[in-house]
Amino acid sequence: MNAARPVAADSRDAARAGGRRALGFLADLSQSLAVSLDLKTTLGPALARILDFMHAEGASLFLLDPATHLLECKICAGPVDIVGLKLEVGQGVVGRAVAENAPQRSDDARRDTRVNTRVDAETGFVTRAILCVPLATAQGALGALEIINRRDGGAFDDDDAEILRLIAAPMALAINNARLALEVAEQQRIRREMTLARSIQKSLLPRRRRGRFPLIGVNLPAHEISGDFYDYFDLADGRLAFFIGDISGKGLDAAFLMVRVASLLRWSGNAAPAPAAWLREVNIELCKTLQNGRFVCAVVGIYDHRTRAAIIANAGFPPALLDHGGRFEELPADGPPLGILADAGYAERTIDLGSAALYLFSDGATDVREGVRARLGAEGLRELIRRYAALAPEPRLRALIGELKRRRLVDDTTLLLLQEPRGSEVRELLALRFPAAPGEMRRVRAELRTALDAEDVSPELRDRLVLVVDEACTNIMRHAYCGGESGTIALRMTRERDVLDFELRDEAPCVDPQRIRPRDLSECRAGGLGVAFIDATMDAWHVEGVPGGRGNRLLMRKHIPAKTGGDP
Amino acid sequence: MNANECTSETLGDYVLVRLRGEVDLSWSQQVRRAILDALADTGKVGVELSEVSYIDSSGIAALVEGFQNARSRNRKFGLVAVSAAVMAVLQLARLDRVFPIFADLDAARSA
Repeated sequence: MNAARPVAADSRDAARAGGRRALGFLADLSQSLAVSLDLKTTLGPALARILDFMHAEGASLFLLDPATHLLECKICAGPVDIVGLKLEVGQGVVGRAVAENAPQRSDDARRDTRVNTRVDAETGFVTRAILCVPLATAQGALGALEIINRRDGGAFDDDDAEILRLIAAPMALAINNARLALEVAEQQRIRREMTLARSIQKSLLPRRRRGRFPLIGVNLPAHEISGDFYDYFDLADGRLAFFIGDISGKGLDAAFLMVRVASLLRWSGNAAPAPAAWLREVNIELCKTLQNGRFVCAVVGIYDHRTRAAIIANAGFPPALLDHGGRFEELPADGPPLGILADAGYAERTIDLGSAALYLFSDGATDVREGVRARLGAEGLRELIRRYAALAPEPRLRALIGELKRRRLVDDTTLLLLQEPRGSEVRELLALRFPAAPGEMRRVRAELRTALDAEDVSPELRDRLVLVVDEACTNIMRHAYCGGESGTIALRMTRERDVLDFELRDEAPCVDPQRIRPRDLSECRAGGLGVAFIDATMDAWHVEGVPGGRGNRLLMRKHIPAKTGGDP
Repeated sequence: MNANECTSETLGDYVLVRLRGEVDLSWSQQVRRAILDALADTGKVGVELSEVSYIDSSGIAALVEGFQNARSRNRKFGLVAVSAAVMAVLQLARLDRVFPIFADLDAARSA
C-alpha cells in the first residue's frame, strides 16, 4: 500500500501537468484565432502549432462547401500538401467525422477500410494512424480537423482525441465568426447597391414643378426599389402628357422593367398620340418583349389647361377617382393590362376637370393594411381624401402619403394628382416668431385677434380661431418641446379668397402624428381637449415632421363663411 | 385689458374663487390650486367668471378637476356669472350641461 501511493501521486501529478499544458495551449490558440477575422492569416499558423502540440506528422483542415456539399482541404501542415483535395461527406475518415458529427480514430490505417489510400499511393507517404474531429457548431459540422501519425510511431489515444476535440471548438467558432462577418459585409454591399438603385430610380421621376402646375405625384416603394412609375412632360402644342403605371410582381426584375416601360411610354408619348392609340402602340411593343407572365397596368393621359379637359385611357390600372368637391366618380379601366394581348383595343374618355381633382393611384395605395389584416380599400382611400380635401394639393398629397405610411405598406404605392391650382393670390395676414413659453400667448392672441378683425371675421369665429391657435401652440410647448426644451414657434396666417390657412412650425424633435388624435367630446374629462377643439373648428388639419428629424409643421385650414352667414 | 387675478373670498360656509383676465397655460396651475384649496376648506365652492375674457383648455381642465373632486367628496361646486367668452368654450367642450351654472352669487349660495 505504502509503496503504491507515490506511484499513484506521480501519475496524478503527470496528468495535472499534462492538463495544465493543454489548457495553456488552448488559451493561446483561442487568443491567436481571435486576433483577426481573416482566416488565411489565423488558421495556417494555428494548424502548425497544433501539429507540434499533438506531436503529429501531418495535420489538415477540411471545410464543407454549403453550395457543392463537398469537403475541401483548405490548409494543411506536414510533409504532404493536400490543399484542394475534395471529399464527399461520408467518404473516408474525414467524411465520416462530418457525416456523423463525431470523432473518428484509426489506429492502423493501412488495414482500415475507412481510410482513403489514394494520397498515399500518389505520394509515397505512409499513413499509419489518424485522428479526426468534426468542427462542430449548433448548425452541424462546418468541416473537420485531422491529424496524422504520431511522431513516436504509436497510435493516438483517448486523451489525444479529447484534446483535439477541445482544440476544434475555438477553430469552429473562429470560422463561424468569419463567415458571419463576411455575410454581414455582403449584405451591406447589397444594401448599398440597392440604395444606389433607388436613387437612380428616383432620378427618373419627374421633378416637382413649382408655381401654377396642375400635376403632382409621389412614389413610395414598399422596399428599396419600386415597380411603379409616373411621369409628366410638356407637348409641343402646349398640352401636358402624363402617365402612371405598375409592373406586375415585385423586386429587382420589376424595377428594371419599370425603367424600360417608363422610357417606352415617354418615347411614344412625345409624338402626342391620342391616349388610346398611345396605349395600343406601347402594348404591341411590350407584347413582343415581356416574358415570364409579366404585364404592366397603366393610365396615360393628356391635359389641356386652356380648356381644363383631360383625355385618359386606362390599361388594367385601378379606377381613376374624380373628386367633384366631395362627390366621387370612379373611372374604370378601358382595356386589359399592357403586354398580354397584342391586338387589345383601348377606349379613352374625356374628363371635364373644371375645379375637380383627378386621383390616379396604384393598387399599393388601397392595399395598405390597417391592423393585422384589413385592407384600406377604395372606400378607405376615399375617406382619407375626403378628410384632407380642404388642403391645397401639395399638403393634401403629403397628408395622404403620411396616412398611408402610418399603416403598413405591402406593395409599391404611387399617387398622381391632377387638379387646376386655385386662381387667386395668397395674402399673408400674420407672421410671428416667438419663444415657446406660455407667457407669450397673451400677446400672440392679441395680435391674432387684431389680424382677424381686420379681415372682418365674425367675433364668434374669431374667438374660436384664437382659441384653436392658442391650443395648438400650448400643445407644441407641452408635447413637442417637452421636458423643458427651449425653442421658438413660428405662426403664419394667410388668406386665399375665402380660405384662411394657419401654419405653425417648431424646432422640436419630430412627434408621431398618430399620437395626435382628437378625442370624443361627449365624455367629461380634462385631458386632450385642445386637439378636440382644433378638430371641431377647422375644416382640415395635418401634422407632419420636417424631413431631417427636427421640427414639426401643423397646417390648419378654415373656410370663412360669407358675411351674411356669421355662424362659425 | 384685465390683469390676471385669482382671489378667494369666504362667505360663511361658502368660498368664492374669483377669476379675472385671460385664463391660460401660463397661470392655470395657480387657478387649479386655488380651487382645490377652497374645496379642502369648505363644502361649498363657486368659481366666479364674469370678468374672464378668455379661457383655454388648461383652464377648463382646472374647472373639471374641481367639479370631479367635489363630486367624489360629496361637496358642492358651481360656476357663477359665466362670461360669454367662457360659455362659448364650455359649449364647445360640451361641458355647459355638466357644471351647475348660476347667474349670480345669491343663486349659487342658496342652491
